[in-house]
Amino acid sequence: MEIEEKQAEVIDHFVKQASAQKGSALGSVVVEATSHPSLFAFSEILAVPTVAELEGTDNSVHLEVLRLFAHGTWSDYKRNSGKLPQLVPDQVLKLKQLTVLTLAETKKVLSYDQLMLELDVTNVRELEDFLINDCMYAGLVRGKLDQLRRYFEVQFAAGRDLRPGQLGSMIQTLSNWLATSDNLLVTIQDKIKWADTMSELDKKHRKELEDRVMEVKKAVSVKCSMTRPF
Amino acid sequence: MASSSSSGLTFKLHPLVIVNISDHYTRVKSQLSLPPSLTSTSSAATSNNNNNNSNGGENNQNPPPRVYGCVIGVQRGRTVEIFNSFELIYDPSTRSLDRSFLEKKQELYKKVFPHFYVLGWYSTGSDAQESDMHFHKALMDINESPLYVLLNPAINPAQKDLPVTIYESELHVIDGVPQLIFVRSSYTIETVEAERISVDHVAHLKPSGGSAATQLAAQLTGIHSAIKMLNSRIRVLHQYLVGMQKGDIPCESSLLRQVSSLLRRLPAIESEKFQDDFLMEYNDTLLITYLAMFTNCSSTMNELVDKFNTTYDRHSRRGGRTAFI
Repeated sequence: MEIEEKQAEVIDHFVKQASAQKGSALGSVVVEATSHPSLFAFSEILAVPTVAELEGTDNSVHLEVLRLFAHGTWSDYKRNSGKLPQLVPDQVLKLKQLTVLTLAETKKVLSYDQLMLELDVTNVRELEDFLINDCMYAGLVRGKLDQLRRYFEVQFAAGRDLRPGQLGSMIQTLSNWLATSDNLLVTIQDKIKWADTMSELDKKHRKELEDRVMEVKKAVSVKCSMTRPF
Repeated sequence: MASSSSSGLTFKLHPLVIVNISDHYTRVKSQLSLPPSLTSTSSAATSNNNNNNSNGGENNQNPPPRVYGCVIGVQRGRTVEIFNSFELIYDPSTRSLDRSFLEKKQELYKKVFPHFYVLGWYSTGSDAQESDMHFHKALMDINESPLYVLLNPAINPAQKDLPVTIYESELHVIDGVPQLIFVRSSYTIETVEAERISVDHVAHLKPSGGSAATQLAAQLTGIHSAIKMLNSRIRVLHQYLVGMQKGDIPCESSLLRQVSSLLRRLPAIESEKFQDDFLMEYNDTLLITYLAMFTNCSSTMNELVDKFNTTYDRHSRRGGRTAFI
């Protein structure tokens, strides 16, 4: 998918930067990464050992910010804004985009009211502008906006970084999909067999009928030839 | 003889070429399987048969004939695109290539397709052979590095890929002697819209005049194979994820993200509106089928009644009262 391709280079760049520096210098790397307009994947940076070392030190706040961007939403930020540093407008925008992605995870039809609540947007116009310009044109989501019914139908949403427990649920979903398609295949197979059997029966029936008709015709013609004395 | 190519060229093959080669081979083969009297005269008279056999007698049981021809296309930079092909007259026993025919054909094709060049040649068979090198060298004066497209006409139901291989020639030093050998290259299939339509049409050939049941079976079979392919792909993904969970495969976040976004697209359509529309359309179809059945039945009944009246009525009609059913 295109987003992943676009991000691949940026991710490499930041991973190199993160592994090159340590401690508080990583803070600036984190800020740069989170405000970069085309970077939406942070789990690679989180996996860099120097970043993981930040846990528990004074600079762990940067790690928290990174984790927030990897898994959290705008409402998470608002709840914990006391502990986290102030975000620059670029970061705010990105966090809101990531929030939309998270919302799209659970439901395919997002109502305008819910979106406005989650994103702190007051009027529909602003919401639609945000969705169109920042989410769709960036290639994050694809979908249809229904203004009359006030909802946003998501057809495709880019993936966010995985939380540790999500892999299990993904495997579950995949196995369900597999089971459904297996059942479907069996059903189709049965239907094909049924269609074939029915056509066989039909042909046999037709043949039987025609045989009987022939017999009756012969009998009648014999009778006719016999009952005609002249 | 066949290692992998290192020239770095990307090959794009059009389905028209494959269809042409297979058509040429089929024509030659079916001409050869004519009764022996006809075969002997035809193979003696024309040299168009392009076969390995020197005897003009019973050709059916002998090894299948090899056909030869030329492939043409365009080369842009490192991409070689093979568009079309035509047949050639070549006798491998005498190694004579009909040059005048080749040149005439080239000229004709140049007039219609000015951009196409002779890119190489094709033949049928199961593997590239030493004798093919002679043809290859013969073509080297037209194109300094010709391609060799080989089609394997043997039908192998277990094989999933196309039985077409593209070979290039490379100069390798073997036993101190520089020799030209064939090396395999990979290729992709490229289609123009017209080609896609015709290939699709051929793939869906049903028994002509099939009754409704066979048509239904054919369509269901199509859906079945499509779902089967989807199923196998999902299975691959599933195994990959399970392996990742167990730790056999290192985690690759970008892939996981793509999979998660894919899974989010399921279920594909589920809103209430869809259910309503779907049920409405389903009911409509069932109703129409029912109505058609009704009409059918009532017309059959009508015919039956008419026939009954005509056959059993003749006696009482003189009485004036017709038996009413």
